[in-house]
Amino acid sequence: MRQKTRMRLIEYAITIWVVITLNFLLPRLIPGDPFLVLTSQSAEDEEIVLSEEQREFLFHYYGLDQPVYKQYFIYLGELFRGNMGFSVYYKQPVSHIVMHRLPWTVFMVLSSVILSTLIGTILGCFSAWRREKWVDKFLFLFMIFFSEIPSFLLGLILLFVFAAGLGLFPLAGAVTHFADFQSGWEKAWDVLHHAFLPIAALTISHLGGTYLLGRNSMTTVLEKDYLRTAWAKGLPKKRVIFRHALKNALLPIVTRVFLSLGSLVGGAILVENVFSYPGLGTLMRESVRVQDYPVIQGIFLVVTVCVLLANFLADVVYRKIDPRVGS
Amino acid sequence: MPEITDLMETGQDSTLPGAPGALAAKALDFLRKTAKIIKNFSLLGKLSLAVIIFFIVLAVFAPYVSAYPYNLPSGKSLAPPGGGHPLGTDDLGIDIWAQLCRGAKISLIVGLGTALLAGLGGGLLGIISGYVGGILDKFLMRLIDIMLVIPDFPVMILLAAFLGPSLINIIIVLALFSWVSSARIARSQILMLKEKTYIKSAELYGAGAWYLMWKHFLPEIFPLIAVQMIRLTGRAIISEAGLSFLGLGDPTSKSWGLIIHYATSFKGIYFTEFWKWWLLYPWLFLTAMVTSLAFISRELEQVADPRVKR
Repeated sequence: MRQKTRMRLIEYAITIWVVITLNFLLPRLIPGDPFLVLTSQSAEDEEIVLSEEQREFLFHYYGLDQPVYKQYFIYLGELFRGNMGFSVYYKQPVSHIVMHRLPWTVFMVLSSVILSTLIGTILGCFSAWRREKWVDKFLFLFMIFFSEIPSFLLGLILLFVFAAGLGLFPLAGAVTHFADFQSGWEKAWDVLHHAFLPIAALTISHLGGTYLLGRNSMTTVLEKDYLRTAWAKGLPKKRVIFRHALKNALLPIVTRVFLSLGSLVGGAILVENVFSYPGLGTLMRESVRVQDYPVIQGIFLVVTVCVLLANFLADVVYRKIDPRVGS
Repeated sequence: MPEITDLMETGQDSTLPGAPGALAAKALDFLRKTAKIIKNFSLLGKLSLAVIIFFIVLAVFAPYVSAYPYNLPSGKSLAPPGGGHPLGTDDLGIDIWAQLCRGAKISLIVGLGTALLAGLGGGLLGIISGYVGGILDKFLMRLIDIMLVIPDFPVMILLAAFLGPSLINIIIVLALFSWVSSARIARSQILMLKEKTYIKSAELYGAGAWYLMWKHFLPEIFPLIAVQMIRLTGRAIISEAGLSFLGLGDPTSKSWGLIIHYATSFKGIYFTEFWKWWLLYPWLFLTAMVTSLAFISRELEQVADPRVKR
């Protein structure tokens, strides 16, 4: 078992290395001069080029006059020390900006993962229990419909109906600025109030997958012999479903939760932009707009490494809870 | 065994391109089969098909179904629906209906382009890797493992930001991150087919890789890849809309996502009524297209692979 975990660890290390190398190579593979548009606001006024001395200084400053392999080692070394470069637009270290925004994204993604898993599993079990009854049919249709709508489209309509139209929720941001909170509770309420719609959008569009998996997995488990025993013992329905069956039906759901994290993060980037939520997604859009490549790369790196870590964790957890895989 | 060689030969004859009668018969047979499949669709499936056909017609006849140009102002800015502009105008006074018709074309080009590139490329890679095996297969499997865990949307943003906004670039970027599923499907099918007796006997009769590929592998695998391609079309349209929404779309070809981008970038859109036509209609079109594609691929999955049941 330990050896298998180590194998997976090596695999993940290779993946992270590929991602870092990609991050290093991309800007160098793309044709063009990095300092051509550095001083200008748009591509049109490229005429304001730097003088030869300035260009040489910048090339030297960024180490671009060195051979590529040397640049690569310098890059790795700097990255290892947590230096992801300096933002051209924000005039701050990239790591500083990214770490400042990261908690909001993590908060949003984690809450919707937990919520969609909980609600999806419960509804899936319920559906499997009432299989082919009208509740099941209705839930099934509802779920496959909503699981196909991408989360940012869902978020847009939620925003316009509930925030802009009905005024039930704030339009943008994560907290009320300059508000004078009386207590911590009030502040927590404010944060939740702002986060409700974005999390709802992510959760609803993600619910369908968990629901379908829970329903399928539960249906297979319900046909097993040991459940017939449970029924024969005369146990109440709730106990059979939620104690005996759920434990075994949960396994595929656990893997899915973590594997779907990647697509959830993609959705979160867009949903954040819909709600102007101050996470990494909005930062990414801003940096794309001002062409701040170090920031875009930094976000990409942090997001990818986070997702990979979560996947690795899922692997370890899965081995722990499923005795068949471990040995 | 004379029968087998006979069969193989007659099988070859009927596919010769020179016979127009055989070709017409084949086309007719294909149509009949398609009609039968559609007949077996559920109500939702038929509805989805109607939606898709509507969008295709819209895309093909875009210049004829809209009275106004899609790229020039043709009325007051931000006019509500009605009065010559069935769906109103945007902030520059450009007709929204005309933009939506044009957007249908762009969305379909991106979707189908990506699906063709990723589906055929991935399928071919999967077939080769499954058939050849060895180092190549091992390498591809590792590559697929890596591709599976890397979150694709952030990479797409990174690539799109570096490559610059153009329709071709977007299609390439999307295809780079969607070939994995078809490669996996094709590979697993080949691994299974390779062990079948009829393939083994064909090999014994001297069938080469090329012959096996056209005669046995492709016909077996194509339906599965085709279903996957429909799914990829939907996903590509979503991703394109997402990238455009972030401002990474091609500004010269206004897709539905880009219309939403402009609408949401408009200052004060939340406090006005403009969103009721400027944002709502592209939203509706996009949602209808994406969900319809998903439902159709769901229905076809059950036809192509009888093992997949609800």
